[in-house]
Formats: sequence, C-alpha cells, structure tokens
Amino acid sequence: MSAGDFTDDPSPMNTRTTAAPPHTEFFPTVETTNWFPRLMGGMADDLLELRRFWPVVTNMVAQELRVRYQRSVLGFFWTLLNPILMMGTLTLVFSQLFGESPKQYAFRLFSGLVPWGLMATSLGECSMCIIANEGLIRKIYLPKLIFPLTRVLINLVTTILSLGALFVLFVPLDARFTLPMLLLPVVLGMFTMFSLGLGLIVATLNTFYRDCGHLVGVFLQAWYFATPILYPASRFEGVSWMLWVNPAYPFIQLFQDVIYSGTWPSLSLFMVAAGIATVSLGVGYAAFKCNEDKLIFRL
Amino acid sequence: MQPSSATKTSSFFASKKSRRIDSSENTVPVELRDVSLRFVSYHDKQYSLKRAAMDLVLRRGETMSTDFWALKDVNLSLAKGDRVGIVGHNGAGKSTLLRLMARIYPPSSGTLKIRGNVAPLIEMGAGFNPELSGLDNIMLNGAMLGFNRRIMATKVDGIFEFTGLREFADLPLKYYSSGMYTRLAFAIATEIDPDILLVDESLGAGDAAFAEKAKARIQGLLGRANVVVVVSHDMSALKQLCDRGIWMEKGRILDDGPMAEIIDRYLEHTASIVA
Repeated sequence: MSAGDFTDDPSPMNTRTTAAPPHTEFFPTVETTNWFPRLMGGMADDLLELRRFWPVVTNMVAQELRVRYQRSVLGFFWTLLNPILMMGTLTLVFSQLFGESPKQYAFRLFSGLVPWGLMATSLGECSMCIIANEGLIRKIYLPKLIFPLTRVLINLVTTILSLGALFVLFVPLDARFTLPMLLLPVVLGMFTMFSLGLGLIVATLNTFYRDCGHLVGVFLQAWYFATPILYPASRFEGVSWMLWVNPAYPFIQLFQDVIYSGTWPSLSLFMVAAGIATVSLGVGYAAFKCNEDKLIFRL
Repeated sequence: MQPSSATKTSSFFASKKSRRIDSSENTVPVELRDVSLRFVSYHDKQYSLKRAAMDLVLRRGETMSTDFWALKDVNLSLAKGDRVGIVGHNGAGKSTLLRLMARIYPPSSGTLKIRGNVAPLIEMGAGFNPELSGLDNIMLNGAMLGFNRRIMATKVDGIFEFTGLREFADLPLKYYSSGMYTRLAFAIATEIDPDILLVDESLGAGDAAFAEKAKARIQGLLGRANVVVVVSHDMSALKQLCDRGIWMEKGRILDDGPMAEIIDRYLEHTASIVA
C-alpha cells in the first residue's frame, strides 16, 4: 500500500472508516483532531471495547469476590460482622448523645452508612487501581477503564450483599419492607455512577501524583462528618446551604428516605441526585480519557 | 459523532477509487504510517503533589523528565501471510514496535491501524493470576484476548493437549514451573487462532522438545494466513520461520526485504562494527 492511498481516505476525520469487520481496532491520530469529536467518537469506541472486554471485568470481579470469601470459612460472615459491630458502637455512643432511641438511630445509621461505605471504599481502591495493575498494563492491552470499573463493581456487589443481609438482621429493629424501597436499585445505580465518576478522577490523579491517595483518605473522613449520616439532617437547620453544597447529601438523603423513612422521595431531590451523578460520571470520564494515553509512561 | 453513521454516508458517496481503497484496507492487517513514539521517562516515578507545590514555589523548572524518540517515522504495512522477523541491536526499538502493535503503547504521532485479533507473546504470563488454577487462567487470558467463556471452553482441550498440563488444570498457577508457565502462555496465544501473533524472544523458552513443537505450531498458524511478527537475536530461528526481514536501528526501519538477505546484511554490518 502506497502512502498516497491514505490521503484519499474518505472519512472526514480519522475515526473508523470502513464497515467494521468483527475485530477492528483502530487508532485515530492523536494530534489531528481536537478534543470534542475525539471524546464523542471515543465514547462510542469505548462502549464497543467495554462490551468486548466485558468477560474480563466479570472475571476479575468474580475472582476478587471468590478470593475474599473463600479464604476464611466465615468469609461473608466477617463482612457482615464488621458493619454490625461498627453500627453497634456508633449507636451506643451517639444515640445517647442525641437522645434518640437506639432502635431508630441504628436503623437510620444503617441506611446511610452502608451506601457511604460503597463510595468510600471504591474511592480508596480506585486511587490505587492503575498502579496496582501495572504488571498487567505494561504487558497486555486492556482498556484502562476496566480497572476503576472493576473496583466499583466489586464494592457494589458487597454493598448489595450487606444491604440485603443487614436488612434481614434489622427486622427486629422495626425495619420493614415498604413500597418506596422499590426505588432502591435506581438510587443505588445513581450512587454507583457518582462513585465511579469520582473514582475515575482519583485514579487519574493518583497515578500522576502519588500522594493523592493519602489526601483522598483524609478528605473522605472530613466529608463523612459533613454529611448527615451519624446525625440527622435537621442539625443543619438555618445553615441548610451547607447541605446543598455537599454533592453526597442528596444520595444519602434518598437512601434514608427509601430505607429508613419508607417515604417516596421528592422528585426534585431525585432529579438533583440524577444530575449530580451524570455530571460526576461525565467529568470523571473526560478526565480519565484525556490522560489515558499518558498513564503508561507514569508507571 | 457516531462512526457508524459516518461510515454509511462515506461509503454511500464513495467514489470508485475510495472503494478500491476500502477493499484493500480490509486485507492489510497491520499498517503504520509515520508512526513515532516519544518516550518520556520520569526520573521520579513517585512524583507527588508535595513536590509539584515545592517546584512551583521554588520556581524549579521541569527537569524531571527526559524524553527520546523510541520510534521515529516508521512506515510499515504487513499483509496476510507475512512472517516478519525483526533484527537490530539492543535498544533499536524492536520490542517497542511490537508493544506498539499490541496497543500497549499509544503512538505519539502518526496513524496505526491494526485489523484483527492480536495475541501478544511479549512477556510470558501477561495477564496470568498466580492465585488462580490453570483452567481459570485460560479463561481469564482468553477474555483478555477478546474471547468469552463459551468460545474458550471449546479451546481448553486443545490447549491441554498441546501443553500436556491437563493433570495440573486445577493447580494454582503459582505452583507451576517456569517452563509450564511458558508452555501455557504460548498454547493459549496460539490456540485462539489470532490474526496477528507477536512474539518477542520467547522461542528459546522451554526445553528443546517444546521449542520444536512451538516452531511447528507457528508454522501451522502461518498456513492459515495470519501475520506473525518475531523479534529475536536467534538468526537461525528467524531464517527458519520468517520470510520477510526488517532491520531496525535507532527507532527507524533501516532495511526491509527477504529475511535471508537482511540477516546477511545485518551480520555483515555488525561484524564491521566489531572489527
């Protein structure tokens, strides 16, 4: 093939040109297109890639869970015992402090704390995921997106398991199934999107600046205390703007509405949460994609 | 921007000439045009926010990295059935070129088109998880090469037959010897019938009997009109396996031609340097 054939390329820009044969892989030139079409064209390609490499994701998630639960006979039991003990301690201390009934307090705490765990653990793991998989990234091609995605999915599965099991355990605490609980999968889905978006940002940052991981830990701790999980949102009366600048608040509020109060959340709250989740995922994706090609040189 | 819709319009209005290009495009599995790769190596991989802040405050310039062109203006197209051997001195960019074709490194500039499934045998055991059993690793490795469980299940028998590792199928990979490891990796990469097989120096791995089997297997792959690219310093193996030779020097392609000729010229050149 002579060089001239390339210039006759009929495509307006260097994206996929011909009707794609099954395993077409193609690189657009890095410098010739500006960021916006690259991002949009890249998104379609990414979806195709994710579909192709989906078995890797499921495989990695399954492995991780198996290793986590296989080692100890009490594997799953331990992942339950940990939040139960923590909730017990927190309930003992804070229900006294706030003068609430322990049953009520424990149940509200549970409805906020378990989802929070999904985000906190995901972010911590995402910050390390590129560095931890250095061996893989340097040896074989995989879409880098699957590493943060895998971490978040693993935590999603554990969260669903503990939500289910804990809920059964909490029946003696007057926990009962209510109709609004049907919204739980949707809320959980939005919160996962939100976490993934942040996870992508953290994964990118930490690969370039290795001390970000520590900062993330500290930041998460502060954020945790600024979010009404340990205490009711009514504590913010008069300074409610502090709630609305907290992007995690709508999600936690939704979880508490759906699990603890058993009421239908207001549509505006729902829309705000959906908006935040979309923005988070969008920004995270853009940040990750713009730096994806540079990651390997930083390992 | 949906590539599929762009495709439709462009092929609909495509002239006769561009259709011809389309058809020829589909038959060229590997194509590099003016591909360059700028390698940035950071002296401090542990660069941190703290350092960044201090550099900013102390107005230290960015002397943190050195860069060089690992590949410069490489033009190459490989046709179906090409068996290509790459020769060159250490640091000539042979392995880098292989890694680029395997998509491990993104090109810094230029266009790189790869059509088909790539099986990289660049580093042994890439994508293996030592905690998992041999069978699980076959599944995982297959997934990383783009094959789902169902397809891999049909290939497991062939892999075990070739490697003779069936009795160790349930043993975690960390208990495998390095020879077993290599055999398994090689068998997976070749059993999946890749369109493009990239091999880096690994032919010498394993015992003599296996090396023979491996060569026979690569030759078998060639019969099915696939592309094989081999990087090696073992000239006799290259002569046996490849028909097209590429000589690389300092990130550029110096010479391209029949394997035997390239080897002769390369050895001549090497001898002249030494003498």
